[in-house]
Amino acid sequence: MTTNKETILETSGLTKKLGGKPVVKDVNLRIGRGDIYGFLGPNGAGKTTTIRMLLGLAKPTRGSIRIFGKDISKDRLAILRSVGSLVEYPSYYGHLNAIENLEAVRRLLTVPKNRIDEVLSVVRLTKDAKRPVKGYSLGMKQRLGIATALLGNPELLVLDEPTNGLDPAGILEIRELIKSLPKSHGVTILISSHLLSEIEQMATRVGIIAKGSLIYEDRIEKLRERSQGHIHLGVSEPEEAWKLLSASGVKASLVEGKLTVAEKNNAAIAAIVARLVGERHQVYRVEEEKVSLESIFLDMTGVEGSL
Amino acid sequence: MIGMIRSEWIKLRRSVVWLLAAVSPLFVAVIGMVELEKEADFPWVAVLSIASALHAMLFLPLLVGIFSALVCRYEHASGGWKQMLSLPVSRMQVYAVKLGMVMLLIAVTQLLLLLFVLLLGFMKGFGGDIPWSLLMKSMLGGWVACLPLAALQLFVSIAFHSFATPLAVNVILTLPNMLIVNSSQYGPYYPWAQPMLAMMPREDYGFGAFNLSMETLFIVVLGSFCVFGLAGLIYFQKKSV
Ligand SMILES: Nc1ncnc2c1ncn2[C@@H]1O[C@H](COP(=O)(O)OP(=O)(O)OP(=O)(O)O)[C@@H](O)[C@H]1O
Ligand SMILES: [Mg+2]
Repeated sequence: MTTNKETILETSGLTKKLGGKPVVKDVNLRIGRGDIYGFLGPNGAGKTTTIRMLLGLAKPTRGSIRIFGKDISKDRLAILRSVGSLVEYPSYYGHLNAIENLEAVRRLLTVPKNRIDEVLSVVRLTKDAKRPVKGYSLGMKQRLGIATALLGNPELLVLDEPTNGLDPAGILEIRELIKSLPKSHGVTILISSHLLSEIEQMATRVGIIAKGSLIYEDRIEKLRERSQGHIHLGVSEPEEAWKLLSASGVKASLVEGKLTVAEKNNAAIAAIVARLVGERHQVYRVEEEKVSLESIFLDMTGVEGSL
Repeated sequence: MIGMIRSEWIKLRRSVVWLLAAVSPLFVAVIGMVELEKEADFPWVAVLSIASALHAMLFLPLLVGIFSALVCRYEHASGGWKQMLSLPVSRMQVYAVKLGMVMLLIAVTQLLLLLFVLLLGFMKGFGGDIPWSLLMKSMLGGWVACLPLAALQLFVSIAFHSFATPLAVNVILTLPNMLIVNSSQYGPYYPWAQPMLAMMPREDYGFGAFNLSMETLFIVVLGSFCVFGLAGLIYFQKKSV
């Protein structure tokens, strides 16, 4: 299914070689207006390298990038006026306080001064705004980074692992904030992470990158469909039950005495149970086993667990 | 452009390093106080000679290096380059403003020196009129002659992440000044020696590179400034951050 939404960001054949070897290979991203695009990949996959190119911080070896319909290599300034970003770890001037940090950035944008108070309250830093940022905790620096990204009222927000170093409450808070932005301000968001679980609760689309190649790009629902698992039936005589179901055209398997059916919808399951009961089988359990999105992700990226 | 200058000022004003600008002029004034004879024939020229030997030969090139490293330091420290360059600013503008800030700090230094020299003159009761043209030529000449060095040091400071590396390079290359200023062949081409050659009162000294005409020196200074400035700018334009 294709969406007819206006394309905000599009790359074609995006490639970057570093030290002779390609770390981003032929990546074609497409992000529509209002999307929350989850850009996923394990460590070292090339997420940050891709994002650097999107922001004009590094030049692609090959390929092109169009944002708001403009080419980044030609209209960088016009594009960046409407982009807010946080790359890899938060940037800050340690000897300045949060207000001065934001003021140093505001001077390069065209936004009114009261915007500083607004973004500070959005990330709940108002209370600590007057002390030097070098004394902030990692989570507070991260929040200042997000405030900086929001300062210029961006149309496109690019966040590279924005929940790095945040505690669960902080992660939740940022997630709610990110979810609210497209609705309240029409912002489009690209957010990278190496954790699917973190993205799946807010993303509308996902792109998965592994070893520099984009191996998957679709709506989050498509990925969710893949995570639907199997229904296990606990019955008194599995062998007999399996024969019965197979004979009546139901796809079922029997592995080590465990009966599993491929059907997933409610009506089909109900019919199967009724049939078994009708033939005097005793049905003890009907269980669903989900394949977690996490394990699909690991399968796709070919990474064996995490450290 | 104005916005960027104000942005730079916000970052700079909280740093104490620029107070160093006052150290060298103060030093010159103290030495002048101790060393100068009241009856010297040309006391203003004598003060300028002290200023050249101490300030222009040693402190000024070191300050250029320190200021250049300073304006890059807070960008290197915590991802400042990355943040600044993903805002709607052109790299050319960033480079120009950084260089401008260095030259502004040097201008402050030169003004302080002028102030201290005048103060010294009054306190010691130098006779005659104040030789404004001689003083201004020296101060302004010294400032202009810092341009190539500022461009070079800014280049090095942008290239190296550490604060110490550009400073070490600068100290090592400042030390040979004492020898190089005596060479009429190499002196004018050595960026670390140019401030001294420009600040030295010409009338009374005619050795080594000093008998060189002001015009020749400034053609060399401006020429090398263009070369170093352009090289630094091109490097900065291409740099991945
Ligand atoms: N300057 C460089 N020279 C050579 N290789 C580099 C350079 N910078 C990054 N790489 C390599 O590029 C690859 C991609 O790095 P990148 O930082 O884009 O990964 P990432 O997806 O952001 O990972 P993470 O989740 O750890 O942030 C890595 O294998 C890294 O080693
Ligand atoms: Mg990264």
